[in-house]
Amino acid sequence: MNKKTNADAKKILLAGLIIGVVISVLAPFLASSDPDGLESAAEGIVDPATFAELEESEPFMSSPMPDYSIEGFGKLGEVGAIVIGTLLMLVLGYGVGKIIKG
Amino acid sequence: MHIPDAFLPLSHALIYWIIAIPFILMSLKWAREELDDLKIPLLAALAAAIFAIQAMNIPIGMGTSGHMVGAAMAAIILGSPWAGVLLLTLVLIVQSFVFGDGGVTALGANILNMGIISGFVGYYTFVALKKVNLNIGVAAFAGAWLGLFISAIVCSFEMTLSGIFPLVGGLIAMGTYHAIIGVIGEGLITAVAVSAIASARPDLLPETFTGDVHNE
Repeated sequence: MNKKTNADAKKILLAGLIIGVVISVLAPFLASSDPDGLESAAEGIVDPATFAELEESEPFMSSPMPDYSIEGFGKLGEVGAIVIGTLLMLVLGYGVGKIIKG
Repeated sequence: MHIPDAFLPLSHALIYWIIAIPFILMSLKWAREELDDLKIPLLAALAAAIFAIQAMNIPIGMGTSGHMVGAAMAAIILGSPWAGVLLLTLVLIVQSFVFGDGGVTALGANILNMGIISGFVGYYTFVALKKVNLNIGVAAFAGAWLGLFISAIVCSFEMTLSGIFPLVGGLIAMGTYHAIIGVIGEGLITAVAVSAIASARPDLLPETFTGDVHNE
């Protein structure tokens, strides 16, 4: 990797990191808590009993940070969860790219 | 548009996995052949930014919100629809296993809808509009919007096959919501990001998108 490419690579990673973290910190405060398109469609057109059943059904497996939150930490936990996810994606994207490329 | 486990019978979930897997394998093949010292950090930066922006639900009225998917944006910036498939596969795996957003069994369907369909429709719409000399931002907007809209329509059909949505009611609701989400959540963000890169660092984009089309 020549010097310019190396410097560019670092700049790109830094840009992704900054944009990702800034959005992650703002998201819990700015994001709408209204249901998304799919859920809202289901709420509107599925009969109420079936919808309630769907809403209450447990996922196939539980996740460590459901709904982008950390239990007991409120908004701060939401910021933390999304920041962790963003950092994880940066590492995963880079790692998978490097591993596949060999 | 992340489908939860409860919205898909297991047999249906399996069929969507069977459709999605060859595309995921092809995206890995693309990565092995096309990734280089600049595209690897681009992939990583896009993965981080798209994950974060997916957490930012934008209100669209009618008690509904929506967020960007980003497959079209990744495909345009990295110059291949396979990039969108790979990137959304990574994002959707993390969302489903770590954050419970989208079911683990429904992951195949979610990769099909958001990674494959929205990425392919978005990318090839963009390429077609760019060929007729349309402004890069306008082409990116239209591609991203159509990609999201078509994937929402397909998602609606899947919900009808699941026995959850009535055919027409599902299409109207999913189509209406995502036509609106697609304007700001998908089209505008993609247009701004692609235009910004095209003017600041055109060398990062595929040459055919930034060069004079008559010289191709």
